[in-house]
Amino acid sequence: MQITHEQISDGLKRALYVTNERVETAIFLALALEKPLLIEGPAGAGKTEVAKVLAEILHTELIRLQCYEGLDEARALYEWNYQKQLLRMQADEQQGLRWEELSEHIFSRDFLLERPLLRAITSPSRVVLLIDEVDKADEEFEAFLLELLSDFQVSVPELGTLKARERPAVILTSNRARELSEALRRRCLHLFIDFPGTEQERKIIELKVPELDAKLAAEAARFVGAIRKLGLRKPPSIAETLDWARALVRLGVRELDTDAVRTALGVLLKHEDDRTKVESKASTLAPRRKSAT
Amino acid sequence: MARLRDQLVNFIAALRDAGVRISVSESIDAMNAVAAVGLERARMHEALAAALIKDEADRATFDEAFNRFFAAPRNRRGEHPDQRGDQVSAAAGRGRPGEDPSPRDDAPPQKSEWPRDGVASDRDEKSSPSEEAKPARTTMAAHRDDAEGKDAERDSDKMRGREERRESDSRGESPTQGIEAARVARMRGIERRPFDNFSDLDYDEARDALAPLIRRFRIRLGRRLRLAKTGRIDFRRTIRAAMQRGGALIDLNFRARRPRHVDLVILADISGSVRYAAQLMLELMAGARGCFRRVSSFVYVDHLAEADFEQGHLVMTPALDLHARSDFGRVLGELWQRRTGLLTRSTIVVVMGDGRNNRLPARADVVREISRACRAVVWLNPEDPARWGTGDSAIKQYAREVKLLVPARNLRELQVALATIA
Repeated sequence: MQITHEQISDGLKRALYVTNERVETAIFLALALEKPLLIEGPAGAGKTEVAKVLAEILHTELIRLQCYEGLDEARALYEWNYQKQLLRMQADEQQGLRWEELSEHIFSRDFLLERPLLRAITSPSRVVLLIDEVDKADEEFEAFLLELLSDFQVSVPELGTLKARERPAVILTSNRARELSEALRRRCLHLFIDFPGTEQERKIIELKVPELDAKLAAEAARFVGAIRKLGLRKPPSIAETLDWARALVRLGVRELDTDAVRTALGVLLKHEDDRTKVESKASTLAPRRKSAT
Repeated sequence: MARLRDQLVNFIAALRDAGVRISVSESIDAMNAVAAVGLERARMHEALAAALIKDEADRATFDEAFNRFFAAPRNRRGEHPDQRGDQVSAAAGRGRPGEDPSPRDDAPPQKSEWPRDGVASDRDEKSSPSEEAKPARTTMAAHRDDAEGKDAERDSDKMRGREERRESDSRGESPTQGIEAARVARMRGIERRPFDNFSDLDYDEARDALAPLIRRFRIRLGRRLRLAKTGRIDFRRTIRAAMQRGGALIDLNFRARRPRHVDLVILADISGSVRYAAQLMLELMAGARGCFRRVSSFVYVDHLAEADFEQGHLVMTPALDLHARSDFGRVLGELWQRRTGLLTRSTIVVVMGDGRNNRLPARADVVREISRACRAVVWLNPEDPARWGTGDSAIKQYAREVKLLVPARNLRELQVALATIA
């Protein structure tokens, strides 16, 4: 199915994903050129969300592979169902089958445990494959991904090469815990998602937390933008901003003064150092207006 | 369309000249990308960026080049009545030399290292002197196949990008946007800066960048040293387990691996020329201490001294005179005297130094003895390999006796080198 740039922008809008030309174009190209899209950026800027929204736009399944230290092919691609094979062997033996027949049996697709990558390749319809935090995986695994990402095929020694019937839309995300190889970068389109600007963040808050007063939303966005610039250990992510906005609603905050900021700060900041740092500056950071005594 | 293609090829060539690495397949992607999104300027801009720029640190270079090659229509208003309003004036300026000066005059004074017409049909023209930083670029370009020159060029580009970014930060444009990108660019800059032109300021910055590096390094090292849980299959135990299930091999049993211990002895030269490299290495290794059974750190100039890190500061006992003449031969002798309990079959000795010995006896024979007594001696040299063995460098003599001699000219190389020792 051909998809147009406009469909992507509309889809993103409908999925309440506030975005810009850069993100839209990158997603559109990933689909148009059938290339994997590598998304980098700070934690909590909405990288993984792109894949979820994309699956929503395409009305298809999202297959997610969470990468971690020590992830190997058996976990990512396939594994032979060893116990099932043994049972089958015993059953066949009793029927007196010859070895050729037997080995044909046990190395067939029935005995294959499909892991996310194989599932994405063999799926009859186009799916969205999210390879999350690919920087956490080992370098060997990254090298293994290369074949998959350039040709959308994998080799299973006993079965031969399996080629994708419908090329999945692949999204890779990275937090730069380690530098990815040039070879991987070359095969992907690249998108860098930074924290949103104040204006964009205000829109996000208004869309996702409509209960919050518009004026307060703008102030909250400005406040979060300001504390991200303080060089914190863990700057607040968008999700945390939204949690905070919801907290403000539940607390019935009307004006974002110093006290209001202090009460719900734990939602926004997850390190004690960060908290003290922001609290010490709360009076200057909070919107200037003090609450009417 | 052919003209647009030429323009894109020239654009990519200009990016390559500016030190952005672009492969052939990526340039094909770029063409396809433009074909897919069309010529609307903003979209084409982002499409080319997605296809060509794989590192946010290169983005500033890209944006600058894009603005130069595909000028915004308003700059050329009135000059090309044939140009449709919304479209990119692709191939502008090509073969129309008379129209070139316009953007230079009415465009806001931007910082640009390239001549503004920029169409690379006249790439030779680049050598004409016009703006700052250009002479360096052209001389570099002359030795382009010289990998090192390329690196230096890249570095200087990175640094320039960094400075520009800082400027834009301080100007207060785009409040939150780009903070993370700037941080990443800064980190990458410092990782690639060669140790031999480090300043105290650079050292402080490198130390700030060290925390994530230590974490990454520890993970990598840990993985190397971690035992695979299972070794070879244990046939007897497997069969025995199968007996209970009527002979079906349901559970496999494996032989346990023998634990592997590594003791580390670090010798780091902290005399003037290489002290930044040495200190950063000691700090990295101090962070990864848990990966080894025992780590003994020493620093030396003309003597050996035990080194330790206390709250981020290097403490040595006894104190060394940092301005003494380096004498690695004597240091080796002192280490050899202390060998009992220190140098064993499970010890790896890591030496960080340039092997410049002020023409004093090199004592490579002691290194050979140490190599025999230990599991391995690994030498990290912060000097450029081209200079190894020149002047008073005795590194070639030592090279014969050690298991591995690797360059560690910047933080990046240092990490790679350290990861190979285990």
